[in-house]
Amino acid sequence: MRATRRFGPLAGAVVLATVLTGCGDSEPSTAAGAPSELVLAIGGESEDGYDPTLGWGRYGSPLFQSTLLARDADLGVVPDLATDWAVSGDGLVWTVDLRADARFTDGEPVTAQDVAYTFSTASRSGGLTDVTALREAVAVDDDTVELRLQRPQSTFVNRLISLGIVPEHAHGPDYARNPVGSGPFELVQWDEGQQLIVQRNDDYYGDQPAFERIVFQFTGEDASIAAASAGQLDLAAVPAQLAPTQVPGMTLLEVESVDNRGLTFPVVPDTGATTDDGAPIGNDVTSDVAVRRAINLAVDRQALVDGVLEGYGSPATGPVDGLPWYEPDSAIEDADLDGAEQLLEEAGWVDSDGDGVREKDGVRAAFSLLYPASDSLRQGLALSVADMIAPVGVEITAKGESWDVIDQRLHADAVLFGWGSLDPTEMYNLYSSTQAGVEYWNPGFYTDPDVDAHLEAAMTATDPAAAEEHWRAAQYDGEGTGFGPSGDAAWAWLVNLDHTYVVDGCLDLGAPRIEPHGHGWPVTAGITGWQWTC
Amino acid sequence: MAVDLLTRTVRGLGGRLVRLVLLLAAVATASFALMVHSPVDPVDAYVGGDLAAIGPEQRAQIAERWGLDDPPLERFATWLGNVVQGDLGRSLSFNQPVTEVIGERFLPSLALMATAWVLSGLFGFGLGVLAGTRQGRFADRAVCWWAYTLASAPTFWVGLLLLYVFSVSLGWTPVCCAVPVGVLADDVTLLDRLHHLVLPALTLSVVGVAPVVLHTRQAVIEALASDHVAFARAQGESTRGVVVHSVLRNAAAPAVLLQFASLGELFGGSVLAEQVFSYPGLGAATTTAALGQDVPLLLGIALFTTVFVFVGNQLGDLVHARLDPRVARETAGAR
Repeated sequence: MRATRRFGPLAGAVVLATVLTGCGDSEPSTAAGAPSELVLAIGGESEDGYDPTLGWGRYGSPLFQSTLLARDADLGVVPDLATDWAVSGDGLVWTVDLRADARFTDGEPVTAQDVAYTFSTASRSGGLTDVTALREAVAVDDDTVELRLQRPQSTFVNRLISLGIVPEHAHGPDYARNPVGSGPFELVQWDEGQQLIVQRNDDYYGDQPAFERIVFQFTGEDASIAAASAGQLDLAAVPAQLAPTQVPGMTLLEVESVDNRGLTFPVVPDTGATTDDGAPIGNDVTSDVAVRRAINLAVDRQALVDGVLEGYGSPATGPVDGLPWYEPDSAIEDADLDGAEQLLEEAGWVDSDGDGVREKDGVRAAFSLLYPASDSLRQGLALSVADMIAPVGVEITAKGESWDVIDQRLHADAVLFGWGSLDPTEMYNLYSSTQAGVEYWNPGFYTDPDVDAHLEAAMTATDPAAAEEHWRAAQYDGEGTGFGPSGDAAWAWLVNLDHTYVVDGCLDLGAPRIEPHGHGWPVTAGITGWQWTC
Repeated sequence: MAVDLLTRTVRGLGGRLVRLVLLLAAVATASFALMVHSPVDPVDAYVGGDLAAIGPEQRAQIAERWGLDDPPLERFATWLGNVVQGDLGRSLSFNQPVTEVIGERFLPSLALMATAWVLSGLFGFGLGVLAGTRQGRFADRAVCWWAYTLASAPTFWVGLLLLYVFSVSLGWTPVCCAVPVGVLADDVTLLDRLHHLVLPALTLSVVGVAPVVLHTRQAVIEALASDHVAFARAQGESTRGVVVHSVLRNAAAPAVLLQFASLGELFGGSVLAEQVFSYPGLGAATTTAALGQDVPLLLGIALFTTVFVFVGNQLGDLVHARLDPRVARETAGAR
């Protein structure tokens, strides 16, 4: 155990001194100062335990289990427990070859039967991993497994990336509290509500982590900052508002994310139609593409980042900024008030009564923008957007509401949502006409046949490159069509948050990966590659 | 005579048991009704930030696993039937039997609450007596000021304040948890546990101190003004002697009653204190259950705390009766 744990402030000073004098020298990374243990406070306690079939490990590293495939630092798909994988021509059968040298921590080998068991259990378990596309999983021989799907789904690859394999012989109701797997770490002790202690699995087939033991401390934000200030932590997730706080001996790490915020527009006019639950559908202002484009054009996203996020974020042009399937041409130059006014004029929105708000055919260019009242970040964004748009003659009334009210109004008013996933299924759900009004997906009832065609093609593609091509074309196809701001502008995406962490000056987390919605645990995605540099 | 006493005790105990059962039934029904009408959907709460990845089919699976598809009355009847057989059901948020969840978390909470309870009782009573005997003087004003400050300070805020002073600035106490970070269960000593208990217990004791101080002070003032004290003084008894012999017993009665009656508040305070210090007790589990709309666990905790508070109040009655024979006679007479 490292001495810093006991002598907080002193060790902080020592670490700082080391940073000032030692680092930067080309000393080998295995200097005597490297600790065998890390203490992290990044949240992410899984209250219902560590069972992947119930959703454990869907973000970051599953620690105890290993997955068939993995994502590298650039989010490319690489083999892990699998050595090779192939998709049949009809997209319905995924054949996966397994490596032969993987063992569970109880000494048993990882077999195709275990993989088949894991997938079929997860598809029925009613947990937080959606494997409902699976029809059956069959072990063809000892090291080959066939995953047979109900419908082609190119994004099923994300289940191969996120679902940790459990041993059939040791899986039962107690498994979640006594996980056995073939991952880089084993569970030592879990004090529920307090901490998780894991130790390196020396039999792990992959690269051995540099640290023998890792302690995850499950403290609230305030207590985490306090612990970091007392020199007791090597890494802590901190909320962006607290990021400017200086923590002695620790440096601030800002990680880009697709943890985005944007507003959805009802895209259909108000014809009096309602959903089965009686929620009204449609809005006569936002159903005009000119209004949606004008808003996208007029918003100054950089100003939102600087003003509301205090610089910890980036302007968002779509729901998948920076991911491999992002189409840069879908973006537009924003903060263009003149352009926005021109668009509105051309579409016939004119302020004829001089009240500062345009009208067209007797309809005032005014609508409500709802946000969950408890979320101060969304409140800041909603109020700022309303202010930014007012000069072009569109009146937005920002209203804080409970989710109860939003559930009733989300098809008829603009709503400030937050999304962000490393799985393009989310993009499908947000824009496909098949998902209109389903859950919180496509709340604006956006429909476009070309976009639908691209989304379907991407979903059913068997070749990853072809899928990516279609994901891109759905955003903007180069000919004026797409759901992005340069096309139908079905949403006005505003910002991507940066996830902020304080890290010990000596701990190198490697190249940061773009993180999904959810601040904290995703940072563990590259945990096996973390190094001590002092 | 002895037989008479025995039947009276048994009858009293039986009466109390019947009352407890009725109370439990009422608490269970009311809690269930409240939860069924809560706007929080348990599946939504469980899915949380994973909205994008969980489709309608998966939601249906989750609802089925938790038995949410049945009508509320049927669910309540099933639950009640199981409770009668001693099965409190399975917690949704912890994926563990409710009895296990409560069992594992009650001990840390009990240690915390008991320490806080004793602390607030002793301090409160001591300060109250001090203030009452020095009525109007500096000590009295200081104690009253202190009591009013505590009474109006939220537990949460006091906890954070103590955390920053003692854990961060001074470094005397740990920042979180009931055990040292990174230490295996076998290596945790009793001293470690006490070290982690101090600050949360101190925070929690703040909840109970103020009322005890103020009530004790009032009782002391009244006792000091009574005829028997005047008589004792006339016989030449010193102030100290008067307090020890004639006042303490009178002043203790309201303090004891208050302390036992405050168990419910104590539990409420522990929910907040445990949150601030990441102390893994029943209070923290209650927060998790409430946020996750975990009906079985919340009902289990509601029943458990009802028993806890009920037993506390009954003990308060008994001790009060021992301290003040007039009370015992009155309650006996009333039956």
